[in-house]
Parts: sequence; structure tokens; C-alpha cells
Amino acid sequence: MLKYFSGERRLPSLSDITGSQRLAMLLTLMVVAYISWKIGQSAQQTLQFAFNGVSVGAVYALLAMGFTMVYGTVWFFDLAFGAAAAMGAYGVFYLRSSEALQVGQFEVQNVYLNVVMAAVVTGVIGWVLYTWLYPPLRKRISPSVLLVIGALLTIGAGIYMFVLLSFPDDLNEILSPLIGGMVAGAAAMVLSRVYSRGLLGTRNLTPLVVVIGTGALVLGAFCGLLVARTPGSSLYLSWGVSSLLAGSVGLALYRGLYMYMRRKARSPLIMLVASLGVLLAITAFFTIIFQSAPRPLPDAFGSNSWEIGGARIKPFNVFSIGVAFTAFAALVLLLKRTSFGKAVRAISDDEEVAKVVGINTTAIIAIVFFIGATLAGLAGLLSGHDTAIQPRMGLLLLLKGWIASVVGGIGNIYGAIVGGFMLGLVENYGIWDLAGEWKDAIAFMLLILFLAFWPKGLLPRR
Amino acid sequence: MLRNLQVYSTLTQPFRDPWGFLKERSRNPELWINLVVIGGAVLFLLSKGTGFAITVGTVFAIWAILAVSLNLVVGFTGLMSVAHIGFFGVGAYSMAILTSDPLYEQLRSETIPTFALPFFAALPVSMVMAGLVAVAMGSILNRFRDDIFVLVSFGFAIISFNVFLNWRELTRGAFGIHAIARPAIGGWEADGKLEFLLVALVFLGIVMLITWFIVSSSFGRVLTAIREDEQAIQVYGYRAAHYKMAVWVLSAMLAGLAGGLFASWTSFIDPNSFILLESILMVAIVILGGLATIWGSLLGALVFVLLEEGMRFVPFIPTEHIGQGRQIVLGILLVLLMLFRPQGLVGRYKL
Amino acid sequence: MTGSETEMYGPFALETTELSKHFDAVKAVDRLTISIPKAGMTSIVGPNGSGKSTLVNLLSGMLPIDGGMVIIDSVGLKVVKAYDTPSHGLTRTFQEVRLFEQISVWDNLMVVLTTRKWFSALMERDKPSYKEKTVEILKSVGLWEKRLDLALNLSYGQRKLLEIGRALAMDVQILLFDEPFAGLFPQMLEQVKSILKDMKAQGRTIIFISHNMDIVRELSDRIFVLDSGELLAEGDVEEVLSSAAVIEAYLGV
Repeated sequence: MLKYFSGERRLPSLSDITGSQRLAMLLTLMVVAYISWKIGQSAQQTLQFAFNGVSVGAVYALLAMGFTMVYGTVWFFDLAFGAAAAMGAYGVFYLRSSEALQVGQFEVQNVYLNVVMAAVVTGVIGWVLYTWLYPPLRKRISPSVLLVIGALLTIGAGIYMFVLLSFPDDLNEILSPLIGGMVAGAAAMVLSRVYSRGLLGTRNLTPLVVVIGTGALVLGAFCGLLVARTPGSSLYLSWGVSSLLAGSVGLALYRGLYMYMRRKARSPLIMLVASLGVLLAITAFFTIIFQSAPRPLPDAFGSNSWEIGGARIKPFNVFSIGVAFTAFAALVLLLKRTSFGKAVRAISDDEEVAKVVGINTTAIIAIVFFIGATLAGLAGLLSGHDTAIQPRMGLLLLLKGWIASVVGGIGNIYGAIVGGFMLGLVENYGIWDLAGEWKDAIAFMLLILFLAFWPKGLLPRR
Repeated sequence: MLRNLQVYSTLTQPFRDPWGFLKERSRNPELWINLVVIGGAVLFLLSKGTGFAITVGTVFAIWAILAVSLNLVVGFTGLMSVAHIGFFGVGAYSMAILTSDPLYEQLRSETIPTFALPFFAALPVSMVMAGLVAVAMGSILNRFRDDIFVLVSFGFAIISFNVFLNWRELTRGAFGIHAIARPAIGGWEADGKLEFLLVALVFLGIVMLITWFIVSSSFGRVLTAIREDEQAIQVYGYRAAHYKMAVWVLSAMLAGLAGGLFASWTSFIDPNSFILLESILMVAIVILGGLATIWGSLLGALVFVLLEEGMRFVPFIPTEHIGQGRQIVLGILLVLLMLFRPQGLVGRYKL
Repeated sequence: MTGSETEMYGPFALETTELSKHFDAVKAVDRLTISIPKAGMTSIVGPNGSGKSTLVNLLSGMLPIDGGMVIIDSVGLKVVKAYDTPSHGLTRTFQEVRLFEQISVWDNLMVVLTTRKWFSALMERDKPSYKEKTVEILKSVGLWEKRLDLALNLSYGQRKLLEIGRALAMDVQILLFDEPFAGLFPQMLEQVKSILKDMKAQGRTIIFISHNMDIVRELSDRIFVLDSGELLAEGDVEEVLSSAAVIEAYLGV
């Protein structure tokens, strides 16, 4: 497997093979035999089940990545990710209810919810500004001025969020300045990188700055206007908004709750139970606001599906697989190539030492939670588009993500994606000969099988 | 003997010397928790009248049996199991299948086996069935610890729900089973609400006695040691796996008893009573009341039952949201407890 | 071979033959063959990471054996199960004290005295004989006043004493002490020493690990020196400790 490809280990000789590996080989053989038998039965069906499996597998993989990352860093499973998943799905529903439902069917707008979410965003933005910008800038600008500016920015962000949530019909117009600004900023960064290399010798920087500035501004304005003029973009924007909202809640939960708890927690169970409490409370809160009945999400890429080799797959499922792999690639880059990744690894090895070395452990862990919850939110909304949403969906999704991360090898990001897709496939092939209602039972059977024979998962953490 | 005398004197102190007792204990939050919960219960019952008291009392008794049985596993042995709803369900379905009225059942579309046994003949079978299921589950669960144990027990809760829902030849799936027998001895039948409450309370008493018998024995002490350090107790010659399995099965049998009682009380069951969420609530009750005390589980069940009624007094909560409101309160309580009181309200074991 | 017991061996309290344990590539205990005679005090010394604690863990069944055999009281075992060791007459203490934290000191001692079989334990209440034994041990280790406290409220030294008391309460002939003297104040050190001496006087076999050479010299009748999982030297204390090889291993000259 992967570790053999990396060249760090020699290939195993026959005598190295242990009992569990033999069992693994036997099982692999059985799976191959089963699948070839099934292909013989109906190749088209086999492909269809594979498509279905990979489609849900993408959702599980996203969740598992979040889980495994958090578990690998702080060694506890945050069950509140289930709430984050539900939040991702209901965020889209909330922002796009006019498309998802007939008008007047069910009044979704809820001022209290807007206030709560705005408060969470305010807190998170305030924390970000205070943690990253305040310490370096404090030396140059007087702290009081900085604090006032920071407070204004923070409150502004909160009000912005409130407005955004209160007028979801104009989502694209409200977000357009933000998008424009972000594009402009990104363009300015890229351009200055590109040009500073070629013109490093130039003395006079003014023309360069003017060129870059105008270029970035024009690009930003263009993008902003484009977004503002295309109401159809609202759905895609709402994906970003709701998954980031879920992420913010994850971060706020860590910074506001888990951090204090971890200081005196004696066992992982304390954290587990606390996050279970959070999950219970948020799920019930959602049930009150959105009622318990299943709801649809608006169609994303049309309902007609593509036909490949006689089997059908919806464009949206292809999209969600793409999202899973993109997220995976981004996470791998983030964890293996950046100083952030190094810090995460240091914390997972020994938090105290990492702190002594000068790593801001609170900030790093908070980001880990943010990323994990964002991925969970993404997974929730993807699964919501695929089927329907329900306040209780979080718990089952969460368990599937948990299983996938354990099956893949807990704490290993490669394991998460492998485990996610594997779980999806096993679930779907499992219901070929059984009734579809047994899906969840099959998933847990897989988990039990794995824990019994490979407690460390497919790709154990090194 | 000496110890028993001590227990006796601490038990009777509040009656012999109430002021001294209050003074001595006034710094101990447990006293105030007890007073507030029991006071609240009494106030509710007084304000709502007997009919209400009987219903709430029966619900309380069934939850309390469940909580006490789960506390054996969670509080005394330290195994955070979310799977107990499965045993509750097995008990309930055994009772339903064994006692449901064949004449009534034959009128319905799908036929399931009927036996028409009386309640008291079916109850032991319920317990044994739950115990048998527990043996199978326990042999797998016994391998795991801490958070993986929790995950696998989640799995068993979901698997058992799936079985209740999909094994239609036995459970009739989502349609449920009707006409489940009430407890009856000779000519007397507990068909009224008050009679059933009495039966439930008697069973609660029996379950408390059994639990007390377990935890006050040498066996109980070994359980607490397993909870604290499973490897270390093995070095002293105890086979922890046997002990864990034994307490797991005993606790499952008590949960099965609660299930049988529940089925008989509602006289209709369907899989919706045995969803995962109920199991989580059960664990929440045990933690809320107090880990590793029998009294704590009673208190937890009392708080849980009264919370629902208490929500009715909060002005701006509409009636249909009361169940959800209780869940929110319970969730927040769990978080607060984990922060400030990891042993639960009156517990003897901190998570 | 499925059964763990094979045949009867010689008159030693504890023997190992070719005992091995490795963690991945690291050989913690490497084909170790030692024989510890009955009665008296035996010490096991060695630099950090020389496999002393691993040896004790193997002997007490806390770790699975990779190769070789352990012979406890003339019974050869290829697989040592932790829960079987007391019936072979062996008990141990831990380097990092492992008490049952959230139960009282009293229960910490009572728990090692009661019936082992679960069903008889379920039917059993505290017998007077257990209580008497507990009282006796509590008094002998000086924790009588603390008997109602939770174990987690004890000080470091008291925790060590309680654990030693627990081993004492076990009615066995072979006692393994993993670093019983580490981190103790002089007064408690004396107390632990005298407890060990008392046990020796009762004719029990005492094996302890220590880094403190003064105590090793003072107490032990026989010494084993381990280095990198192998036996470096064994025999009389003074002789071994003054040999060149041992000094080299310790000082790394």
C-alpha cells in the first residue's frame, strides 16, 4: 500500500506476512471474487452501484477528513461535527428557501437565528483580527487606535452577516462587494509576485504599483458586477456561506468551550459527552426552527443524469466527488507543505512541547476545528442536495464519517479518503442483495469487522 | 457490622437532627440539588393533581429502571454504552410478540407469530432475550475501550433499530404491534393507570434492590476497579473480560425488563420508540443524575421527566416544541456538567 | 501448542529461557536467560532503556512474549496471562503507580483480597477476614488515617505505599517491584525498605528494580545487570558492581 510506494520500507517477503495480513488478502480475494461475480451477473448494475457508492463516498470522505484531522491533532472526536453538517445543509436551505420551496409554503426567516449567527461571525472575526493582526501591528500603531478599528471591523462584519441572512433573496448582490474585494486582493497578490520577480532591479516602484493596483481593481470590480448581475450565482455563493458558517461555529465551539474543557479533562469521554450535548442542543434547535419534516434543496445542476456505460450518474454527484478530491488535495498540501502543517504535526506529537517551542497552539487548533467543521458543513450540504435534509441528518452523517475515518486509519488523511469511498462502496454493494434499509447496519458491520481485525485501519498513522 | 451501623446513622441523621444535618451539609451542593429536584417534583404533583401524577410517575418509573440499569455499565464499570436502547427494544418486542392478542393480530394484513402468554410469563422471557442479545453484542464490544467503544455501541443501537424496522415477519416493521397484555395475577389485572403505576414502582424497587445487591458485593468493587484501571486489576488475578460481560448481561436484562414494562404500558409499540436519539437521552439521564450511584439515576430520570412538564411554564415556547426544548436544555446541561461537575448531579465517579 | 503449562522445572522461584520481546526493530529484551532462586532479595539494575521494565511486564503478563519462555515457580509458560500470575504465586507493582483512583484507599486494598470468580464475587459480601487483613496492612504501611480518602487525593509517597501495600495483601510468594524507591523522601524510603525487609524475613522472593546503588548494595542478595535487553552480569552484589563491564555500561566509557 501507500507506505510501500514511498520507498521508505522494503517490500514484504512471504515470511513477514502476519495472520491479519493473510486475512486481509483472503478478504480482498473474496471482494474481488464477489465483484467479478456481480459483473458477470450484470456489468451495468455493477457500474451503477459503483457510481452510487462513490457519490456517497465523497460525502463520507469529506467528513472523515475533518474528523481525522481533528482527532489527529487533539485526540478526541468532535461529535458536534454532526451539527456542523446539518448546519451546512440548512444554511443552503435557509438562504435559498425561495427556490427550494413554493412561496408561502413555510416561512423560514427567523430573526433570532440571524442574530445568533451574526454573533458567532462577530466573535470569530474579532478573534481572528485579535490573534493575527493585533500582535504585529501593535508595535507600529497605538493599541487603542487598533482596538477601535478592530472593534469597528468586527461589528461591521456582524452587521454584514445579519443583513446577508435577513435578505437571502439578494444574496448575490450583497456578497458582490466582498467577492470583488477578495478577487482584487488575490489578483494584487498574484500580480505583485509575478512582476516583482522580473522588475526586482527597478528603482522606481510607483508605475508598478499603479499598474498592479488598477489591474486588480478592474478585475475585482468586474467580478463583483458579474456576481451581482447573475442571480443564478446565489446558490453557489450560498454553499460557500453556509459551509464557512458551519466552520465558524466549529471554531467558536473550540475557542469558547472545548479549549477550557481540555485543560482539566481527564479522559476523552468528557469531551465526547460535551460534544454530544452540543449536538443534541443544536439538533433540537434546528428542529424547532425548521420543523422535523424532510425538506428539499434546490436543484444544482439540473436533474437529467449522464449515462456512462449504461449506468447513470447525476452531474451533481460528479461535482461532489470533485469537491472531495479538491478538498483532499488542498488538505494534503496544507498539512505536508506549509508551516501550518508542521505546527499541526508538532501539536499532535506533543502539545506541551509545541507550546514551549513557540507555536500558538490555541490558534492552530482553532483553525483545525474550523477546517474540520467547514468540511463537515460541505459534506452536509452535498448530501442534502443529493437526497433531502432533516434536522436529524447530522447524527447519521457524523457516524458515517466517524466509521470512515476509523476504517481508513484514524489520524491519517489518506486513510480518510480511502475509508470514505470504501464505506460508500461497501454500503451500496451490500444492499444489492439486501433491502436498502439495511444500509446503516452494513456500515456498522464493516466497522466492527475492521476493528476486530485491523483496529488501526487500512492505512495506519505512522 | 460497624459499616452497616454507620450507613444507618447517616441515613437517619436528617430525621433525628434536621438542623444539624442542614448545617453540616449546607456547603455540599448535593443536598441542595436533592432538595430542589424533589421539591420541584412535589410542587408539580400538587399543582397538577393525581391523574397527571400517575402518568408522570409511570414514565418516571420506566426511565428510572433504564437509567439504573445503564448506570451499572456506564457509572460503575465505566463503559459508555449507547447501545442500551437495543436491549430495551428487545425486551419490549419480546413482550409484544409473546402477549399480543392473536384474535386481534389475525385481522391485520401481515401475520406475525402470536403466543398470547400472560404478562408475568412473558417478562422473564423478555429479560432472557435481552440477555442473550447482550451476550452476542458484548463479545464484540468487550474488545474496545473509550471512544471506540462509544462508536461501536452507537453501531449496535443503529443495527438494532434496523432489525426492529426491517424484520417484518417478527416485528411487523413500521406498523408496530398492538394489543399487548397488561400485568395480571389471577383475577386481578392492572388495567387502570394507578394499578400499572404500582406495578411499575414495585419493579423499580426490585431493580434497585438487585442493583444494590450487585454494587455492594465484591463483584461491584471489582467493577469500579475495572473502571479505573482494567490492566492493573488483571494483574491482581481478576479476569476483567468475564466481569465486564457479566455486568453487561445483567444490565441488559434489567433494561429488557424495562422494555417489557414499557410495551405493556403503552400496549402498542413501533420502532420509533427505539431510535438512537432515545439511547443518547438515556445516557444523558445517567450522566445528569450522577455516575455510580443508584439514587443519582433516579434523580436524573426525575429531572428528565419533570423537564418536559417544566417547559410548559416557560412563556414563549409553543406546546409542540416542548420535546425539543427539553432536548436543548439537556444538551446544555450536559455541557455544563462536563465543565463544572463531571460526576453528574450527585455522582460518585468523575468522567 | 495451545496449553500454556508444559512441564515441571527446577527449584528456582523465577526463570526465563531465551526470553525475547521486540518493538518493531528495537529489541527490548533479547534472548534473556536468568534464574532467580527462592527467597531473598534480588535486584535488577541497568541503564535507562535496558529492558528492565519490559522484563517485568513480560513476567507479569502485561506484554505478550515474542519468544522464549517464563518459568514461574517451576511452571513453564510460553504465554503469560496477567490474570493467571497470582495463581502462579506472582504479583507486581508499577513504575508509574497505578491505583484505582476514584475509589477509597480501603477499597483499593479490599479489592485484591476478594474472590476472583465473578459469580462467587457477586454473592460475596465483605468477610471479616478481609477486613482484618486490610486493617493490618493499612496500619503496617501507615495509611490507616487515610482509609476513607479517595486514592487520587494521596500524596506521591502515600500512593507508592498503597501500591506496595496492595502487593503485600496478595498472598503470593514472588513479588516484583518496579522502582519502589524512586522519588521518595528519606523517611518514606526507610519505611519502604523496612517493609521489603519484613517480607524477606517471611521467606518471600522479592525482586526489585532500582537506580539507587546504595539501596541495591544494602538490600539485595543477588543482582542482575541488564544492558540493551541482554544480561550483562549476575551474581553477588559487590562483585558485580565493581566489575569493569558494568561500570562501562553505566558510565558509557
